[in-house]
Amino acid sequence: MDNKNKHYDVIVIGGGITGAGVARDCAMRGLSVLLLERFDYTNGATGRNHGLMHSGARYAVTDKESATECIEENMILRKIARHCVEETDGLFITLPEDDLAYQQTFVDACQAAGIRADIIDPAEARIIEPSVNPALTGAVRIPDASIDPFRLTIANVIDARLHGADALNYHEVTELIISQNRVQGVKARDMHSGEIKEFYADVTINAAGIWGMLIARLAGITINMFPAKGALLIFGHRVNKMVINRCRKPANADILVPDDTVCVIGTTSDRVPIESVDDMRVTDAEVRLLLAEGEKLAPSLATTRILRAYAGVRPLVASDNDPSGRSISRGIVCLDHEQRDGMAGFITITGGKMMTYRLMAQIATDMACSKQGNTSTCQTATTPLPGSEQPVAGSASRSFAINAAQGRHGTFASKIKLETDTDRALVCECEGVSVGEIKYAVQSQHVHNLVSLRRRTRVGMGTCQGKLCACRAASLLGRFGSNVEKAQNDLAGFLDERWKGVKPVAWGSTLREAQLTATIYQGLCGLDKAITRKEGDI
Amino acid sequence: MKFDTIIMGGGLSGLTCGIALAQRGKRVAIVAGGQNTLHFFSGSMELLGNDGNNDVENPIEAIAQLSDLHPYKIIGADTVAALAGKAKKLLADAGIETTGEATHNHYRITPMGVTKPAWLTLDGLATATQPGTLPWSKVCLINLEGFIDYPIDFAANGLSKMGAKVEIADITLDSLRRARRSATEMRPTNLAKIFTSSSSLAQLAQAINAIDTDADVVLMPAVVGIDNDDASDILRAQVQRELLMLATLPPAVPGVRINAALRHYFQMLGGRFIMGDTVTTAATQGDAVTEVRTAKLQEMPLQADDYVIATGSFMSRGLVANFERVYEPILDLDTNAPADHSLWSQYGMMGDQPYMSYGVVTDANLHPLKGGKPLANVFAIGQLLAGHNPVVMGDGTGVSMITALAVAEQIIGSTHLK
Repeated sequence: MDNKNKHYDVIVIGGGITGAGVARDCAMRGLSVLLLERFDYTNGATGRNHGLMHSGARYAVTDKESATECIEENMILRKIARHCVEETDGLFITLPEDDLAYQQTFVDACQAAGIRADIIDPAEARIIEPSVNPALTGAVRIPDASIDPFRLTIANVIDARLHGADALNYHEVTELIISQNRVQGVKARDMHSGEIKEFYADVTINAAGIWGMLIARLAGITINMFPAKGALLIFGHRVNKMVINRCRKPANADILVPDDTVCVIGTTSDRVPIESVDDMRVTDAEVRLLLAEGEKLAPSLATTRILRAYAGVRPLVASDNDPSGRSISRGIVCLDHEQRDGMAGFITITGGKMMTYRLMAQIATDMACSKQGNTSTCQTATTPLPGSEQPVAGSASRSFAINAAQGRHGTFASKIKLETDTDRALVCECEGVSVGEIKYAVQSQHVHNLVSLRRRTRVGMGTCQGKLCACRAASLLGRFGSNVEKAQNDLAGFLDERWKGVKPVAWGSTLREAQLTATIYQGLCGLDKAITRKEGDI
Repeated sequence: MKFDTIIMGGGLSGLTCGIALAQRGKRVAIVAGGQNTLHFFSGSMELLGNDGNNDVENPIEAIAQLSDLHPYKIIGADTVAALAGKAKKLLADAGIETTGEATHNHYRITPMGVTKPAWLTLDGLATATQPGTLPWSKVCLINLEGFIDYPIDFAANGLSKMGAKVEIADITLDSLRRARRSATEMRPTNLAKIFTSSSSLAQLAQAINAIDTDADVVLMPAVVGIDNDDASDILRAQVQRELLMLATLPPAVPGVRINAALRHYFQMLGGRFIMGDTVTTAATQGDAVTEVRTAKLQEMPLQADDYVIATGSFMSRGLVANFERVYEPILDLDTNAPADHSLWSQYGMMGDQPYMSYGVVTDANLHPLKGGKPLANVFAIGQLLAGHNPVVMGDGTGVSMITALAVAEQIIGSTHLK
């Protein structure tokens, strides 16, 4: 695609779930669209959260508007993104140290926001969710679910492209092209070649999450955002089958979510400087807090291997001087910079949550359409994402890899070729990823390196954290993507990226596995001697 | 049950020590948990590849550069040199022929196509005499269809960077058809089991002979010869060109072979190999261990004059790290690990990770310290020891064999004194 100097109706900056959703909505309404992402899709907060599809119950008491948005979007996503959603339901549990009286306040608020909330007997809670802390004194069942943000984002990008959008990842916006108080387009650097390209559009939509603050600065505009770091821990297997929350005002580390083969506890919430958001490391204090609180939800976490720690940065929009960010509304903020700052052709969509990405996209797209006199209506609430057109029936008679691939790719799984023995060979045994699935992902899903391959297929995300499969996948990436040298460098980059999450929790079996991985790659293979990768390569 | 020596741990160090003692008529029991780090074996023993700063040409000379905590420094360079010769002989006694000298490293070729310093390499594996230089100008790499535990494109890339002209020959074998059908069956040790039959070896040889190449050498993944060298000999006899092997991803077939050969030899010498069990507790009196108990023989304590602890590092569970500390779980021996877990590792995976050189500290005779005092009838050997780093220094298998032999000599020596 040669789109240098091409003119679009809309340029969307940011390949997280919001940007992908905006690109899809705009494209479905007939606008010509370019989506630009600096690294890989989902690289920011989209790829660094719980993977929780909120029912909204968490916000019911403190923020009714957010709660209502959540439950409405929750019900929509179950239909349009069924291949990304696992309908687990959730519990809000009361522990002896919590005030049981809060439970009624909570249930009333849920019902007011339209969220089904059923008080159940603690004994019944222990039966339907055996991992829950047996000391619980109360339980409420609510329609939380688990959602795969990687899959969800890619499905939006794919659909945007099916509707004619262009999408470029590894393109960083370095400058907004401004004349006569109007954003005319952007300059973007191709992160692989270093080439600077210019793209023009009637409207530029800033959907860059916390980095949106920096994008706005390029236009001389200040958005007072509140970078709130949230740290999480992933455990080596799925101890719970339902989402477990604490029935109290939102606090640290009070949600445990089952995601595919693992489970995730989080989060913390601390304000961090905007300059630090590209390199979030989880601190020892955060790990201690997450473990201590996590064990209260599900005591077996104390003896479960921690796979890794990671952190994302929420793009909250600051409204007061709350040091924790908890009381800031998770509400959606859509800024028309023509009205707000006298800068035409520029919109920022921010705030909100992954849960409400579709609604955020709709609001931003409505604004873009009205600026262009486009009167078409939003169809995203009723049109299924590709992969979710119809339910995929699982079958016990099929292989683990085929069922796993259908879970990951929905109806797209039929495009995975598994005709030869070699295609059927398993690359990742933990997650059931076949050679054929890797080939499909490399050829059809914007895979540039092992990290993006992991996000598309979950290769290396399971219990072994890429001990052997990383090498297998890197070899295949070199072969299918025909750049062996880069694939080998990618392998080192991938292992180092995994290590960044392992380092804060490197004790117990986690340290044991790390030593094993180092023994294989550094000792046996001499990967450290084989690579030509430099710091900062992508 | 009473023995002369009880060895806790059945990996390379435990087996080496057990064999050396059994060869001298000692009644030895080895308590072995199961798999050990020979499953990650490269095909070459490494004495010392890097002194912490530079690659090493002469490991014996380089011992002077090591820290005082390093096991070689504790044993002394002269003794290490003498024991290195004995190690090579012990392997040969067990039926494992190797090539290499302690005073002059040669270089193994890794599956990623780089060279690494080596001490003793198993016959049939590809090596070079100089770092980064191949002895061939044209190389043919064999790719077995469906086998993905062998990064052949990376190997090819590395070899061509060293100046070789590299071609890849795809081989599809009927004998592997069944294995190819099952998604998880194409693993190195499974292939090696198939390649124990003479018909599948003949088929493989035929396929290699049919490759149209004028390469100086054909390199294949090390998936032949799991029980002994016979299969590689049979294969080589039928192949009409020079055929050498490159290590694969684990499980390593050459490692499984060495493990089996050493164990078999130990048992042939009359050694007692207690498989699938681990020592859980040890009773002490003063500075001596009086008996140990295992997980499965709870009611039957094991007693001996001497006890050797060869339980390995973290990955073998010889060392355990929890939130608070690093400890040795059987005797709670002293280690060199600091209490603060944030110091155990650092960002940058391929860097020098501190935890790698954590282990049990000993006196000059490899008696481990407990509460600052040596245990008189206990010896610590192998990867459990502090002060070395197999990944960065390339000294893992060397430390295992040398410390095992040093302890065996001491135990035998003390018998003579009695």
